[in-house]
Amino acid sequence: MKKILVSTALLAGVLSYAGGFRVSLQGVKQLAMAHTSAHAEDASVTFFNPAGMSFIPSKLSIVAGGFGASNKVTFQNLNTLQSTETDNPLGTPIYAAITYKPLENLSVGFSFSTPFGSTIQWPENWEGKEMVQKMELKSYYFQPMVSVKLAPWLSFGASYIYARGKVDWDKAVTQFDGQVNINDEKATGHGYGFGFYFRPDPKLDVSVAYRSPVDMKAKNGTATFKFPSQSVYSQLKLNAAGQDAFSATLPLVEEYTIGLTYKVTPKWQVSADFNYHGWERYSRLTLDFANAPIGNQADPTILVNPKNFKNSKTFRLGTQYAFSNMIYGRLGAYYDESPYTNENFIPETPSFDTYVITGGVGFKLKQFGIDIAGGYAMPQYRNVNNANLGFYGQAKARAFYFGLGLSYNPF
Amino acid sequence: MKKIIISTIAVSALLFTVTSCNTDFDTDVKDIPVTKGDADFSKYISLGNSLTSGYRDNALYSSGQNESYPSMIATQMKLAGGGEFKQPLMPNDVGGFIGLPGFSGKLTLQVVGGALSPVPSAPAAALDILPNGGSYQNMGVPGAKSYHLVAPGYGSQAGLSTGTANPYFVRFASSATTSVLADAMAQKATFFSLWIGNNDVLSYATNGGTNSQTVGGVTTYTPATVQTGNTNVANYKSNDISDPAVVAGSIKAVLDGLKSVGTTKGVIANIPYVTSVPYFTTVPYNPLTPAALGANLATLNTNLYGPLKQALTAFGAGDRINLLSTTAPNPVLIKDVALQDLSVQLTAALTPSLGLPTATVFGQIFGQARQATSEDYILLSTSSVINSTAPGAPAPVNIYGISYPLQNQHVLTKTEAAYVKTATDAYNASIKSLADSYGLAFVDANKKMVELNSQSGIVFDGVRYTAKFVTGGAFSLDGVHLTGRGYGIVANEFIKSINAKYRSTLPLVEANKYSGVKFP
Repeated sequence: MKKILVSTALLAGVLSYAGGFRVSLQGVKQLAMAHTSAHAEDASVTFFNPAGMSFIPSKLSIVAGGFGASNKVTFQNLNTLQSTETDNPLGTPIYAAITYKPLENLSVGFSFSTPFGSTIQWPENWEGKEMVQKMELKSYYFQPMVSVKLAPWLSFGASYIYARGKVDWDKAVTQFDGQVNINDEKATGHGYGFGFYFRPDPKLDVSVAYRSPVDMKAKNGTATFKFPSQSVYSQLKLNAAGQDAFSATLPLVEEYTIGLTYKVTPKWQVSADFNYHGWERYSRLTLDFANAPIGNQADPTILVNPKNFKNSKTFRLGTQYAFSNMIYGRLGAYYDESPYTNENFIPETPSFDTYVITGGVGFKLKQFGIDIAGGYAMPQYRNVNNANLGFYGQAKARAFYFGLGLSYNPF
Repeated sequence: MKKIIISTIAVSALLFTVTSCNTDFDTDVKDIPVTKGDADFSKYISLGNSLTSGYRDNALYSSGQNESYPSMIATQMKLAGGGEFKQPLMPNDVGGFIGLPGFSGKLTLQVVGGALSPVPSAPAAALDILPNGGSYQNMGVPGAKSYHLVAPGYGSQAGLSTGTANPYFVRFASSATTSVLADAMAQKATFFSLWIGNNDVLSYATNGGTNSQTVGGVTTYTPATVQTGNTNVANYKSNDISDPAVVAGSIKAVLDGLKSVGTTKGVIANIPYVTSVPYFTTVPYNPLTPAALGANLATLNTNLYGPLKQALTAFGAGDRINLLSTTAPNPVLIKDVALQDLSVQLTAALTPSLGLPTATVFGQIFGQARQATSEDYILLSTSSVINSTAPGAPAPVNIYGISYPLQNQHVLTKTEAAYVKTATDAYNASIKSLADSYGLAFVDANKKMVELNSQSGIVFDGVRYTAKFVTGGAFSLDGVHLTGRGYGIVANEFIKSINAKYRSTLPLVEANKYSGVKFP
């Protein structure tokens, strides 16, 4: 049970501003160019491809940055003529990374990122309250990594991913006029990534990377029920505080990325990326409660929610122009597919086919760099036909992002 | 690589050409008008029985009435020119009538002996006569059968003692001699809903196919009659199944009456199979687990089930009783009046071993006994009878369901259930045909109830409703009537049918926001 919840929560957070589960907010410079990956300028490449470290010009590189992500989802029910808007707080993903070359052909690095992290907040009494009232997700990726230059034009890198996450999910329990909070602050998971980075020509960078699935496991979750009457506690085999333990696994999915950057002129470069996300792993969310018989399986403590996600793709195109060797302008656009169909739309992780335009500027002052970026998303409205949940209507969203990044490349 | 680049560029280019075209709804719900279509909702009246009145938890009480399905429909109609919808509200939130036997207050869920159980409350007030009789738009009368709608005097206070009147109609009837139909006609409504006929089979079913008579505190039960070919309702006993011709004729009379005053547009619903409601599906036919029977199991097999089976087998009726299983749940013993009475034969067979007096008693008790099967329906009210002591029966053959058969009034047997289904099908055929010939919107309530009774139930905005007693969410504590949420689902079926027939655009109600079972 726990596992499922956590997974869902994680997904929800991510999906609220991206079609895939990975929030496309990891490097401010990269975001400005549609979040493309083949940029080995500084340590921010680490999140995208560990092999990129080998092509960072400086021996030591440190980057850090943060984003604001604002989004609002609107659901309207054409049958009851009700319209509901979320009241989501600003999401604030952050990242930091450091890389170092102890040897000419060897780079080591460490990346910290918050690839999932947002809150979806529906009105407490909205019509879909049984599915979600509020879902908060936080996740932290800790990634040590190493990269080896196999040839002057080729490197290979690999990373280990330690993931920690928090899920905090409120939803109504209509049948008992109550509410349940599903919480685990200590979900963990492990994964890995590896990639190749090519520079066959000084003008061309090619990044090929793979990020493994991470099964976020919530082993010690707590489901806290609140009912107007305590007699329900014993019916649901809850303890005196109305609590039950649960476990769940949320599959964070694998991702394949191919990216390239071509320097058209010394001042002008163009980048493109293609991502493929293995969402099919997320076919269902299973919550395994310790005692509460509120499931829908032969074992009544197991609750299975069908999700039926499908693999999705993202196409990205970005460009950078150096106005001088101090000032850079960047633009980009990408298209991100929703990983589920209208028949599988879920309000805890609302998702849309989304077009995003991005832009930003960067300044370089000797070893220091400062970059700002912004993104404006245009999620395509969609019909909601989830027969499994009896949830019908239309949903739309608005979102924009901004970010500030710092880099330091001392030597 | 090149291809990817090209395709990426192409996609990105595409992106710039098509953006912004689909980010906003084509039509915002705030801009969608609610229209009445071909109908006129300015004066809506609803006719029917307990389901229409908002009855639940075995009583009519004010908060339940406020969540009646006609009231929900009327609220939506107001968005399209609908007028006031007055209900004959009960004077309190408990219901029942002091001084009238058989009209107790609502059931409430309470913790009894560590388990949740519905407990009846005392009636809260004596029968109140409402002012402005005849001016109420919710005319649902709990307990009304089809023919009661056209019966003059059904609202006569004097008729209560003779059983020809109904206190719920007495409350809001315009006079002692009027009928529900007459009061409805007087209102000259522009739109009506009619859902009647349920009680024409329901009271038969909930009483296990029996009529009862209480004389001097002693109640006796006799098999109720399945009326066919008899349209003289004056001869009907209260739990008889009405002749389908009576139901069809009564409904037609209502439709004709309304039509004669210009009330020609409306909606009519058919009758659910009563056996799809929790009152019949909650208590299993085989609740006697080996664990519950304990050491008695072997004794019962040796001293009762074994000898009975042996004797019955000799008369070619060995399938009536099997030995109790030590591994699987066992069925209860029931009396089935459709069986050949073998009491004389049993007495004769058992006399050598038991002696004549005991064998005679056994013969009488078990002459029409058999074990229940999955095709029999044990009534919800029977759950407290099983394992209790049958009055007047000699020990040890005096434990209901185990060593003494549940009686006719405790069980709707397979045979009786078949009568109910046959009658319901006949009523529904007439209702559909009348709906068509009078050009009315039609609600297949039976289909919806079957859906509710299925494993998957009905899901509304993430809430799954089933016909499971108490926890299913749709049925109130009496196991027959709905909760506010259940009535919300019904209201939506009516609204969908009205919209489809009259091209109106009444919005559906949010079923989940109404009240369900209240836990203590």
